[in-house]
Amino acid sequence: MASVFHRPSLIYGAAIALRLTLLIYGAWQDAHSAVKYTDIDYLVFTDAARYVARGESPYARDTYRYTPLLAWLLVPTASPGPFFFAFGKVLFALSDVLAGWLIARRLVSSYGMEPARALKYASVWLLNPMVANISTRGSSEGLLCVLIVALLCAALSRRVVLAGVLLGLAVHLKIYPFVYAASIVWWLDREREVSATATTTSPSGGSGSSGNGVAGKLIAFITPARIRLALAALTTFTALNITMYLLYGEPFLQHTYLHHLSRIDHRHNFSPYSSLLYLVAAGDVQTGWRFESLAFVPQLVLSVVVIPLVLGKRCLAGTMLAQTFAFVTFNKVCTSQYFLWYLIFLPFYLPRSSLLRQPRRGITVAVLWVVSQALWLQQGYNLEFLGQSSFVPGLFLASLGFFAVNCWILGIIVTDVGCLSVQSEGRVKAKGRVE
Amino acid sequence: MRRRITLLQHASTPYDPTQAHVSPDALSLRTLDAAREDRTTFALDEIPSELQKALQSCYQFHVRWASERPAGAPAPFASRVSSGLHVLFTPGEGDGDGAALCQTLKQVFGDEVDCVSPEASFITPPILSTRFAASASAQFYTRLPSLGSLAAYIERSVCSSSSDPDNCRAQAEALRSADSLDINYDSISHALTVSGFWASAPQGGWTEEIAKPVRKGTDQIEVGLLGAEPAKEPEEIKMGGLLGVVGNDDQLKPTLFSFPARHHGLPDEATYSVSSPPPTGLHPTMTITLPQASLHRPPAPPDATCALHTYLTLPSTIFGDKYQLSTTDPLFLSSHNLAALRAVAGETDLEAPDWSVSRWGSTWLLELATPDPTSEEWNVTVPLHLRYLKPSESGIRSAAVPWPVVFWACTAEDGTKMGVNPFDRANLGWDGLFGPRTMFYQLHPAPQPGAPLVEELEVPVLRLENEGLFQGKVIELATVAVISLGFVWVLWKLGLVVRGSGGGADAKKREKRGKAE
Repeated sequence: MASVFHRPSLIYGAAIALRLTLLIYGAWQDAHSAVKYTDIDYLVFTDAARYVARGESPYARDTYRYTPLLAWLLVPTASPGPFFFAFGKVLFALSDVLAGWLIARRLVSSYGMEPARALKYASVWLLNPMVANISTRGSSEGLLCVLIVALLCAALSRRVVLAGVLLGLAVHLKIYPFVYAASIVWWLDREREVSATATTTSPSGGSGSSGNGVAGKLIAFITPARIRLALAALTTFTALNITMYLLYGEPFLQHTYLHHLSRIDHRHNFSPYSSLLYLVAAGDVQTGWRFESLAFVPQLVLSVVVIPLVLGKRCLAGTMLAQTFAFVTFNKVCTSQYFLWYLIFLPFYLPRSSLLRQPRRGITVAVLWVVSQALWLQQGYNLEFLGQSSFVPGLFLASLGFFAVNCWILGIIVTDVGCLSVQSEGRVKAKGRVE
Repeated sequence: MRRRITLLQHASTPYDPTQAHVSPDALSLRTLDAAREDRTTFALDEIPSELQKALQSCYQFHVRWASERPAGAPAPFASRVSSGLHVLFTPGEGDGDGAALCQTLKQVFGDEVDCVSPEASFITPPILSTRFAASASAQFYTRLPSLGSLAAYIERSVCSSSSDPDNCRAQAEALRSADSLDINYDSISHALTVSGFWASAPQGGWTEEIAKPVRKGTDQIEVGLLGAEPAKEPEEIKMGGLLGVVGNDDQLKPTLFSFPARHHGLPDEATYSVSSPPPTGLHPTMTITLPQASLHRPPAPPDATCALHTYLTLPSTIFGDKYQLSTTDPLFLSSHNLAALRAVAGETDLEAPDWSVSRWGSTWLLELATPDPTSEEWNVTVPLHLRYLKPSESGIRSAAVPWPVVFWACTAEDGTKMGVNPFDRANLGWDGLFGPRTMFYQLHPAPQPGAPLVEELEVPVLRLENEGLFQGKVIELATVAVISLGFVWVLWKLGLVVRGSGGGADAKKREKRGKAE
């Protein structure tokens, strides 16, 4: 069984073959059935790319809510013919495979894993049918995921400026990766900070100089690497936004960013907030607390503040997984493509997780995650296709149930990552270098 | 005020000269079985001042109303609109007060007319046609099952100052049973015409005495007893019968005339029916069923090209996906028996809930695919989507969708002038989407006996009980409680991690570093 993973060409070959098969099957289904394999979002991208190819704004296409970069990238799809039409899907699928390759490499170099074992865990992503399905249907999440993995790799190998550029680009592409700024900043230079605080605090020793200690810590916190990361990220992000604003003006701001602030998200989705938001949007709330306007508080407290602070110095990948999981779980809107955002980190987390050490727990987690989702999907089906009024209690309880399961899983992830020794990643890396 | 009464008899209906008797003062009708159009033309100073004001702010203004009861539409009255109230207008130059128009519509047709202002409530149809009297630039629709409000308004505001109040009231009352109603005004003629149409006579036929007008000179009543006859040219309608002006003519005079017509009738068997097969869910499919008789090419000139079309009038609760429907994918189109989406206007936002949509809805012109005439029955399907509606106590809200109109459109020979038709009807919403020389052949809607020409869809919404377990407050508090619990749980787990490091991470780190060094 393990021998398969000793032959990378076999695994990458299988990953590519899986995607190629789905691409060809998708093209066949699109050509022979009125029910299309291609995702509607892909039609939005390609329509926008056609506008861009004609020198017009991608925002001329309704519901195009992405950076113009994506439309530019897909300009070849504006050419006639099925091969060009599939260009974007090929690009997304290749990004998937590239992300898997980066994962496997990083597991070896930063976690000291045997290449075969690394490939086995990378296969959680590479050979995952859900991942291959999403990118071959033409969803751009694969593109984002390869950026996030690259960001993680750049940070782990301390290529700070590259990490900053990737972070700026990722936030420009989809807003949520900004949460990673907190964990990467906290993780970078953790050793230097530890030694710096050790030297500044040990001579003074007594309790009287705590003010000095805080200031010292603060000064120690601002390291050249952190400054370079921040500058690189901010410069990239700002430069991209200014360029896009100059090119496309107000519609760029409106559709890429402001839309996400003003959207109501009244439609049913996995988020625990969805029933409440429907009530609020329809003007039918009674207590007048406007709790939903505070929804960002638990979400950001966890994903930007507490999780990076508590876990950031132990394991960067694990922290990023916990952050993403918290961000998606506590988000005001949640659809199944958001699950890819944390799935990408599983190969880094699983090798040292209690889910594999205690198979019973691992299976319970997997089953509960799938079952609670299936319960929601069934209620959603009853609503959308059978016309039953399943908002309450069906969808309401199902989304709260799914939320509870996710919180429990997040608790396990947090505990697992918290059990890792502080410098696990650094140590391995150091070892790797010596060897 | 001029009134024109047209009584249209079917060729097979028996007629006896004593059924229309002319005297110096009146024309009496007795048990006359006929369809009837009653058209009254007012000068501006003959109508209430608030109406005058509203009309003067318009360049042109048209109302088209059709009953929810199925009714015949014999030529030359063959054209149809979806049941309900359609308002089409072009604002005039200058600063007309838009809100005043909506105010007037509410006054005249009742408070259920959900109109705030033309800017906020009307949609702008894409006009292709540039005919002499250009099509209106703004369009409004609302469901309106009855003309009761209009009849009451006329009795209240018009008849009180009328020269013949009793006759005025009788005419207003008669509108309550009309099958369709047209109101037209344009700023060139400065005249307002109101036409009611009754597809069939009341029980026992038309029996009434039409008195000569009280005010001689300005007022006139013209009566025609007509029947359609076979025309020589396929684009023409030929009519023959008797005409007379009440009080002027001592007998009805025979007449025979023909004219090119925009709208033509089709045989009674050329029908269609509309259904939404359950379960409709949030994505109902409108199904238009056409029997074989509806699929024959209409009797247009042989060199004309004809295509079957449907024109959907969709209230804001329901909409089509314009990207889905405008596709050129032959698989999608043939799976629905559609040929192409020809025009769309109005609220086509794919995400907005109904309560955030201010305009009344949308209109869709679709060209339909047609099979070889040998096939038995033909189903055309239009995939539609429902908007989110506000929560309700039952968990269900109703969305009413009027049946679309279905018709053949054929290109006519160059030079055909449709405007000379004394019964011409334009500004129906869909006619302006075709070239000015197009001829239309209308199919007849045929619902189940007793059923209206409106599909009532059940829309699932959030069920909000006033008492009991699932009140709004419970949803709100339970959401807050569960999210807070989840939040605290994760924080607690994080707290355990911090405590588990034993006296702070730093101590351990230092210890380890010391060892390493």
